[in-house]
Amino acid sequence: MQKHIAIVEDDPDQRANYCDALAKKGYQVSAYANRAAALEGFSEALPDLVILDIILEGEEDAGFDLCRSLLQRAPELPVLFLTERTNEVDKISGLRLGAWDYLSKPISLQYLAERVASLLRIVEPSPIAGQEQGARIGHLEVDLDRLSATWRGIRVPLSGTELRMLQMLVDNPDSAVSYATLMKATNQPMVTNNTINTHMRNIRRKFVTIDSDFSCINNEYGFGYRWIVQ
Amino acid sequence: MKLFGKVRGLRLATKLALVGPVLVLAPLFVLVQQVDLESVFVETQAQSMLRAAQGISVIFNGREDLFENLAIDTEDYEPIYATPLLRPVRLDGEALEWQDLAERTYAFGREQSGDASFTIAIGERENAIYGYMRVRDDRRVYRDARILRLDNSDQVRLDFRRQDSRPTRLAITSTGPGIVTAYDMDEAWQFAKSGRPENRVRGWLSETDDGFALEFRVPTELLAESTTIGFSFVDVDDAEERSIRAITQSLPTTGRSSFNLVLLKSTELLNILDGLGVSDARISVIDADSRLRAASGVVSRGTAPAATDGFRPATWLRNLFRGTQTAEQDAEASELIASQVIQSALAGSPSVERRNHELGFEIITAAYPIVSAGAGVLGAVVVEQSTDRTLAMQSQTIDRLFGLVLATFVLVMLALFAFAARLAWRIGQLRKDTGRAIDEFGRLQTVKLKREQKAGDEIGDLARSISAMLASLQRYTGFLERMPRTLRHEIHNPLNTLSTSLENLADEVEGARDSKYLASARRGVARIGAILQGLADAASLEESLRSETPEHCDIAALIASYVRNTNNNHPCREFRYRGANRGVSANIPDYRVEQMLDKLIDNAIDFGREDSPILVALNRHQDYLRVIVANRGPVLSESVAESLFDSMVSHREVQDKLHFGLGLYVVRIIAEYHGGRARALNLVDGSGVMLIVELPADETAATDFEQQLAPLDMEEPQRANTANIQGS
Repeated sequence: MQKHIAIVEDDPDQRANYCDALAKKGYQVSAYANRAAALEGFSEALPDLVILDIILEGEEDAGFDLCRSLLQRAPELPVLFLTERTNEVDKISGLRLGAWDYLSKPISLQYLAERVASLLRIVEPSPIAGQEQGARIGHLEVDLDRLSATWRGIRVPLSGTELRMLQMLVDNPDSAVSYATLMKATNQPMVTNNTINTHMRNIRRKFVTIDSDFSCINNEYGFGYRWIVQ
Repeated sequence: MKLFGKVRGLRLATKLALVGPVLVLAPLFVLVQQVDLESVFVETQAQSMLRAAQGISVIFNGREDLFENLAIDTEDYEPIYATPLLRPVRLDGEALEWQDLAERTYAFGREQSGDASFTIAIGERENAIYGYMRVRDDRRVYRDARILRLDNSDQVRLDFRRQDSRPTRLAITSTGPGIVTAYDMDEAWQFAKSGRPENRVRGWLSETDDGFALEFRVPTELLAESTTIGFSFVDVDDAEERSIRAITQSLPTTGRSSFNLVLLKSTELLNILDGLGVSDARISVIDADSRLRAASGVVSRGTAPAATDGFRPATWLRNLFRGTQTAEQDAEASELIASQVIQSALAGSPSVERRNHELGFEIITAAYPIVSAGAGVLGAVVVEQSTDRTLAMQSQTIDRLFGLVLATFVLVMLALFAFAARLAWRIGQLRKDTGRAIDEFGRLQTVKLKREQKAGDEIGDLARSISAMLASLQRYTGFLERMPRTLRHEIHNPLNTLSTSLENLADEVEGARDSKYLASARRGVARIGAILQGLADAASLEESLRSETPEHCDIAALIASYVRNTNNNHPCREFRYRGANRGVSANIPDYRVEQMLDKLIDNAIDFGREDSPILVALNRHQDYLRVIVANRGPVLSESVAESLFDSMVSHREVQDKLHFGLGLYVVRIIAEYHGGRARALNLVDGSGVMLIVELPADETAATDFEQQLAPLDMEEPQRANTANIQGS
């Protein structure tokens, strides 16, 4: 069955590009330019996944408003923010509203398509239900498809980018992963080492909140990071 | 040069202190004027004295009779002046009261100091004539009270002659030292006319080493109209025989009349003068022959205090502005002036002069002629008065004024100083506030100065305009700070359009995926994105630094590991590390150190010669840990070295990589935020450059790590050329 994806984006060029790219992947795509048009569209039928820009035709928080009203109607609906607003505050408030991921522009269409596919898979579990999907290493369990990581059985609230970075580390336990590799996890064209450092600090902090003795992530100064198996 | 550069001129308070004394000039001029007025006052006094003399002279005008009774030509006589006595005389034979009259003592006798010679001083006071006589007598023979005849003992004879030539003879005798007795004598000086002594004449005799002294008093009423008097001493040496051995007379030569002209004053004139009742002036009448005929009153100092009782501003000012010419006048000159005044009056023209009294104060002598229709000038009235009384009030005024000027000056200066101090303090505070408004990195700390905002004066205006300047500066810097984020925000959308369009294009057009144009377009998009990210990162760097929690890290281990990894990442370049491998703690999060190293190493790779190693060193210099990244290559000019760590400054000749001058700026901001600094130096030999980041040493750090430091194989940074320091 063809999945229905709704895109709310005020810039017509970008909207068209998203539509084209997703349509090519075989999705049914509806595109809206503003909040009012989107609400009208959603009142007829709810899509399977929604991609939201935050600023819509001058309305500062239109994306957040839409997200709120959508999740009121369908709490399990995957909502994805795709925006030029890259402030931590915006990211946090977006994720708090219940959004599944927060992607920042500029974005590669290929990556967008992958994210969409991955989120849709979570909503509709694969036929091999109950099978252990994620990787397990020490006390850590990472399930990229389900966008979840647990440490000693407790869920670590990581963002999508952070999860992907973590995945890269645990894919090669006890060996150093370079900045260049980790940059790929961000899916952004140019990322400085410092951006990686910031992400890693956030990840480490989230683990430490759960377990104050956590010390598996080690900085290889000038090269990258290493996951130390305990 | 530096010395002169530091001298900027005087402080505000000093300037006011210099200007302040000018204010004292105005009252000082008044003081000087007061002093100048003195001559006016004195002149006025002199004129009024002349008027007084004129007024008195009117009384005597035409009164030839008052002057006639001295018809004797003074040339015939040796005049003996009766000097007015200032103090009452006690008849005790002592010379005390007579010391002032030493000059007016006349000596008689064949030999000046022979036997029976005597000296006599005559004074006049309160209707009596006083005399003090010192007699040399080798044998004193006193009167024997049993003998009636009187010319057989030592005695003093007084011989008066009146106008009508009816003489009076008085013999003063004594039976021993003590009270003497006078007798009215017959013509032969042998017996008293009557049995009773003349009690109106009193005296006292005391013995001296070489004779005796006699002090006596003769009332003027006894003299009546007598104008001449003769003194003689009768010496009797043999107490048995009692014959007169010698008679010493006041008469200089025997050929003349045996009388001396003594009492030149006219009692009638005196009575008139006394009737005038002048207290503080001396009025005298001089006859045409310059003889003093009558005098009344004494010249006193008036009420002015003596010049010696402490500091007198008036005296001081007078001396300062007028000089002391009057004080230098000697007694002789003063006498000359007095006689000139009198001579001028006697010549018919009134005259007035100032002169110094022998007691040191200034007096005015005014003389006015007494005339008679028939006889011309009869004499002159001389009025003498001290200027002290007139000047006393002026002196008091000057003294008061001087005090007032002094007090005013002190008050004005105090007020000026207080004002200047307050002003300087306010300006100083304003300067401090203004200095604090912008921190050492040029960031605005406050928009409005707290002080002086409500002050109405120019300082308030200044403070308000500084506040206004700060506010507009803040708006401007705010705009500058917001610009990178706004720019990124605004450019992200079209950039996203561009990159997604490129992706769709690659899918849609056959063969486009391998097109080099698509690749270069993608690189361009990536580069714009990186620039935006870099700008935004640099702009938000301070914000993120402020939100950072303090952390420690082992900076030695970090750098050692970093250099090792960098060698692996860049196989074609060599990186050397000189420093401890672990155990150096620093108060800075590890990723910040790494962030700085990224920028420093990037810089070194770009500028260093490829065949030469890049040296990274960690050492401790005083209280700072120094991270040094040195490379051989082009050196920095002074201006470049200074601006190297500023924002948006890039000195690359070829923009081949992603550089927009933010790297070293980030290094500086991080170093400064953690209490350190960053700077760039040329190597001493000019072969390259080193960038130095200084961070405060963590006092908990191991102190022995210095020993672990190996010497740099490049130049020691301590000896580096310091002429072009300063990265910040």
